[in-house]
This record gives sequence, structure tokens and C-alpha cells, in this order.
Amino acid sequence: MTFKRSEAQINLASNIVIISMAMLFATLFMGYAIYRTSAPMWPPYGTKKVSLLLPSLSTLTLFISSFFCHQVFVNCKKDDFKKAHFNLNLTILLGVGFMVSQGLLWFQMKGAGLYVSSGIFASLTYAFTWIHFAHMVLGLLALFYLKRVLKPETINILTKTSSVENFWYFLEIVWIIMFITLFVF
Amino acid sequence: MSGGYNEIHPEPTTFWSKYIFSFDHKVIAKQFLWYGIFFLGVGGLMALLIRWTLAYPGVPFPVIGNLLFPGSNGIVPPDTYAMLFTLHGTIMIFYAITPILIGAFGNYCIPLMIGARDMAFPLLNMLSFWFAFLSGVVLLISFVTPLGAAAGGWTSYPTLSTLIGSPGAGQTLWCVAIFLFGISSTMGAVNYVTTVITLRAPGMGYFDMPLTIWGLWLTAILNAIFVPVLGAGVILLILDRIMGTTFFLAGASATSGSGDPVLFQHVFWIFGHPEVYILILPAWGIVSDLLSFFSRKPAFGAKATALSMTSISILSTLVYGHHMFTTQMSPLLTQSFMTLTMTISIPSAIFFANWLGTIWRGSIRFDSPMLFSLGVVFVFGLGGLTGLHLGTTTTDLYLHDTYFVVGHFHYTMAASVLLGGFAGTYFWFPKMFGRMMNETLAKIHFWGTMIPLNGIFFGMLLVGYGGMHRRIYNPFIYESLQRLIPVNNIITISAILMGAFQLVFVYNFILSLRKGAKAEQNPWQVGTLEWTIPSPPPHHNYDEIPVVKCGPHEFGNPNLKTGRDFQYQTEELVQA
Repeated sequence: MTFKRSEAQINLASNIVIISMAMLFATLFMGYAIYRTSAPMWPPYGTKKVSLLLPSLSTLTLFISSFFCHQVFVNCKKDDFKKAHFNLNLTILLGVGFMVSQGLLWFQMKGAGLYVSSGIFASLTYAFTWIHFAHMVLGLLALFYLKRVLKPETINILTKTSSVENFWYFLEIVWIIMFITLFVF
Repeated sequence: MSGGYNEIHPEPTTFWSKYIFSFDHKVIAKQFLWYGIFFLGVGGLMALLIRWTLAYPGVPFPVIGNLLFPGSNGIVPPDTYAMLFTLHGTIMIFYAITPILIGAFGNYCIPLMIGARDMAFPLLNMLSFWFAFLSGVVLLISFVTPLGAAAGGWTSYPTLSTLIGSPGAGQTLWCVAIFLFGISSTMGAVNYVTTVITLRAPGMGYFDMPLTIWGLWLTAILNAIFVPVLGAGVILLILDRIMGTTFFLAGASATSGSGDPVLFQHVFWIFGHPEVYILILPAWGIVSDLLSFFSRKPAFGAKATALSMTSISILSTLVYGHHMFTTQMSPLLTQSFMTLTMTISIPSAIFFANWLGTIWRGSIRFDSPMLFSLGVVFVFGLGGLTGLHLGTTTTDLYLHDTYFVVGHFHYTMAASVLLGGFAGTYFWFPKMFGRMMNETLAKIHFWGTMIPLNGIFFGMLLVGYGGMHRRIYNPFIYESLQRLIPVNNIITISAILMGAFQLVFVYNFILSLRKGAKAEQNPWQVGTLEWTIPSPPPHHNYDEIPVVKCGPHEFGNPNLKTGRDFQYQTEELVQA
């Protein structure tokens, strides 16, 4: 059974979902701030920092994917669904690339002796990236859903595209905050 | 904002699509109702086991004691006692009150009272129930794990809830169950908020909504914002338990940083204090409407009541620290939290005064929904007043973790919500099932609940003030507390009585379902939209979407020429 929904309903619901997820990440970052500010030094004594290469690559990949994601919306607006599909494919590909990069990061950390139970620094890095990864899976599912419905006859296709786009941006923003707090400073 | 699609969905044809995996908000409401009543029974039985242990330590629980605890000759063992108070709290809050007040009434009332044909997202609505169901199954499975269910209190504070305090799978399953329930609640919240904003009938402004809808809507907003906070906390707790992290273990490592058990308390109460209002707002809304309906008077200061509920919802997000006065919080913070907590008294007093203003000089009809609503006014008054002692740092330091706290939150969260839930059940039963409940049995149920309920919770305030701490298996090993044994006996006898009178409700419910008098379309003679359609409503609720022309509480207008003392919301307001 399919149900019709208006633009207002889709926009509102997707915004509430983003707010809910933002609260989850905000709580995690609050915890991070407390751990970090109460530690005498960061990373704690004896803990190696993670190399910036893979996290930077992840950031770049996600950043570019967001650009293509926005292009999907622009193409839809111009009724150019062929280009929209092309850009959506690129977004998905880069999303998968981000996830591969995250997998490599975990291997690298493991190789450097940083396990999830190796103290608060490693625990936070693993936990946050895992939780973000789980949301990326949801984001990819949303992109695949968009791929299925991305055709001119779909009702409210622009609203659906912009909702998925907003969710993808949200994931990017969360990642950028993680990148800056966990890896850069 | 409005303008959602209000289409008629095709009627389901198979048993599975009609009763099990239904998209219909009315069926989902009933599923939540059965689910909530089942867990209310489970949680209630646990309460009786706890009370029996406190009044008669070392005495086997009567009748089913040997069946439940064969290893200890029917006596509740100490470790089981800890599981009982943990799961009693968890079940009553998340698996009984939430499904009944929010799941059942939210699903049933929102579309019907705002003139919609269904929720904005029927599939999401169905998923919300099944996530809750899955969560309930996971929680029940935790009872049969080798070391038993969670036993760290419903708040699951670390270190008790980490592997150090709670080895075994029970606590982990508790966390998983709560996370799943959080997903269910968030799904419901997305649906409720969107439905109220986009599917209100033409002409229905926000202040034309019944106060029941205000309560449910505000609850949904709080749910969407604060349930994920607890979600984050339990994810980290799960990682502590299964992955060896130390987020909530202090001093876990001297060199590589360490966790902080108090952080969990912050996270828990950032969610937990709004949760109090998440539970109680629907009951407030229902009672605010019912007091007007059965006093045959417009709700006094209805706008102020709605705005007060909104202010309380906002303030509820800023006061969580009063749960943590004893965690060596900075005095500056305790004073700030205390002041903010006290500010909640202002909107609370406004809507409480509005309740009294509504019934003042009304032509009160003492039908069962009204009796239960008046019960809420009384118990919430008491609960609210005792909250002042706990919101004030100086008195809280003495009363913290005593039975005074237990009595206080049971008055506010349990008694008010339970009575509000019963009020709603008696009120909407005719609409839900097309039959009336037996009024005599309902009144027996009311007095059989109301009197012992006060025996229980007022008794708890007394023993708490007398110094009896909560969560102790046998407090009377302390000589100073032995003088409280008689009061504890009274509390337990009251609990048994109250439990027994709930059987009257169950009997009445089942009897009325099968043999109750056929309900008219509008048996209570009120004007909200759900009473303009048959009882029970057709699959699509409204043949034509109603147009709202006046508020929900139009009673006693002397210029009415219809022979009724109320107006339907679809009628033009008769001017004086």
C-alpha cells in the first residue's frame, strides 16, 4: 500500500528526524567535551594521535559527495533526470568510498595498537566513528531510495530529493565536527 | 502550516492486515492499549512483590510465592528484589504508561480529534508499535538469562549498571530494549508532530485544538528531542558492557584517561526530567478537557492552560540538575537549578488554578471519567507540592534517595498518570469499542483505587520523611527504622487492596467489550470532532473532512436554541 504525502509533511518529518539525530550526536559531543576538558592532557599520556591522512581523505570524499548530492537537486529542478541519476550515482559511490576509508582508519588504528578498549581516547574515536558510520548506512539507504524514485512522474520528487540532501549534509556536518575535534585538535 | 494529504486508504481485507500489521491508527492504538495493560499487570505484580518484602521480610509471598521462587521457599531473594524494583520502574514508565497514554491515546485521539483520516505516516506508525513490541520481548527475555534481569535501578546508574555492578546479559538486554523503545518513541513522535501540524481540519487553529491534543503534541516534541539523549547514553553503556570501553568507569586507567560515572547521570536526567513531563502532559491534557466536559462549562483559561503546558515543557529541559544535588555539584549550579525548578511552579499553578476555575460552579456530572479526573487534580496537587521539598537543595539533601522521593514521583508520575489513563479509558471506551463500560463497577474501581492509592503513596512520604531509604531489601535490620514497620504494613495492605480493585477494572473491561450497552454516537454529550461520527468510527474516520468553526469547550451558552447545552466544533459559534 502506498500513501500520498504533501511537501509540508515530508519536509517537517525529515527535519524532525534530523533534529532527533542531532540531539544524539550533541549528547555524544557533550560527553566528549567533559572527558577532554577534565583530562590533564589530550590525548592522554602514552596515547598516540591518529594520523590525519585517512580522516582527511574521508572528509574530502564526503565533502565532494555533498557537492554531487546538491547537483542531484539542481538537476531535478531543471527536469534533467539523466544528469540527476549520474550525480546520484557519484554521491553513492563517494559515500561508499567514505565508508571504505573509515574501515581503513579502524585497521590503521588497530595496527597502531589503538583498540576500542585502549583508553578513553581510542574508545571515543571508535565509538563516535561507529555511530556515525551507522548513520551513514541510513544515509546510503536514503540515497538508494532516492535512486528508485528519481523520475519525473514521482510526486513531490523535489521535496524528497531536498530531504535526502539535507540528511546527507547533516551527516557531513557531524563528520566535520568529529574530524576537527577527534583528529585535528 | 497545514495541507497534508487526507486520503481514504483502502480497507484491509485479511486478518493480518486488519489486526496484526495494520496501518490504521485506531487498530494501532488498541495494540498499544493491550500491550500497555499487559505490562501494567506485570509491573503491578512486581510492585506487590516489592511491597510484600518490605512489610513482611522473610515471609513467603502468598499463593504464587513457591511457584516464582522455589529456591527460597517462596521468599523473594535479595538479588531478585533488586531486579524487581529495577524492572518495576522500567516497565511502568516505558512499557505501561508510555504505550497507554502516548501510544494508545495518542494514536486514537490525534487523528480523530483534529479531523484527520489517519496519521501522516501510517507505515511509520505501524513500525513504531512493532519496535515497541520487539523491545518488550527483549526486556522479557532478560528475565531468563543466567544471572537474571537488570538490577541497577530504573535509572541504571554506573557503576551499578556496568559489568562491575551487573555482570550477565540482563543489564545489556535492558540497554538494548531501551534503545529499541527509543526508536519506537521517536518514530511515534515524528508522526504525532507532523500529523498535528499538517492534518488539522480546516478552520482548526492551534487554540481550537482540544487540550488533550496539546498535551500529546507537546509530549511528542519532547520525545523527539530528548529520547535520543538517552539513546546516546545507552549506546555508550552497551559499549562499556560488551566492548571493554570505560566511558562510565572512573579511574579505569591511570595513564590513558578514564571515564566518568556521573556523566551518565547527566545524560540520563537531561532526558529523564523531560521524560516526567513526557508522561504527564497527555494526562494533563485529557484531564483539562474532561473537567470542562463534565462540568458543562468552557475550560477556564484554556489558552493559558495550553501556554502553561508549553512553558512547562520548555522549562522541563532546564531543570534536570535537581536530580543530582548530591553529586557534589557546584553550589552555584545547585542554586541555578533550584531556582529554575521553582519557576516551574508558576505555570503549574496557573493551569492548576484553571482546573479549579473550570469546575467552580459547574453543573458537575460525576461520571467515572470525571471522578478519575478529579482524582488527578487531588493527587497531582499533592505530588506537585511535595516536589517543592525535593527541588530545594537544603531539603533535598536530607530527603534524597528516601521513600519521600518514591512517594513524590509516584504521586506525580504514577498516580496522576494512572488515574488520567483510567479517565481516558472510561471516556473513550465507547468510541473505541462501540459499547459503554459499566458505571457502577467503574465507580467501585475509582474508590477502590483512590483510597488505597493514597494509603500507599502518602505512607511512602511518611516513611521517607522518617528516614527510610529506598532500594534496601530489609530496611528493618536498622533499629532506627523498626518504628516504621507499622506504616509499611499499612502501605502494603493498601497496595494489595489497590491491586485487588484493579481486577474490577479488568472484569468491567472484558464484560463491557462483550456485553456492554451499545454506545451512542455521543454518549457524553460533548462537542469535539470524534463525537460527530459513529461509535466505533468507520475505517476512514470521516466521510467528509469536517470544517471547524468553534473551540472544543463550548458549553452552557444561554443563547443555544438546539436543546443541547453544548456545541459541536463543526457548528458556528452562537453569539451572546
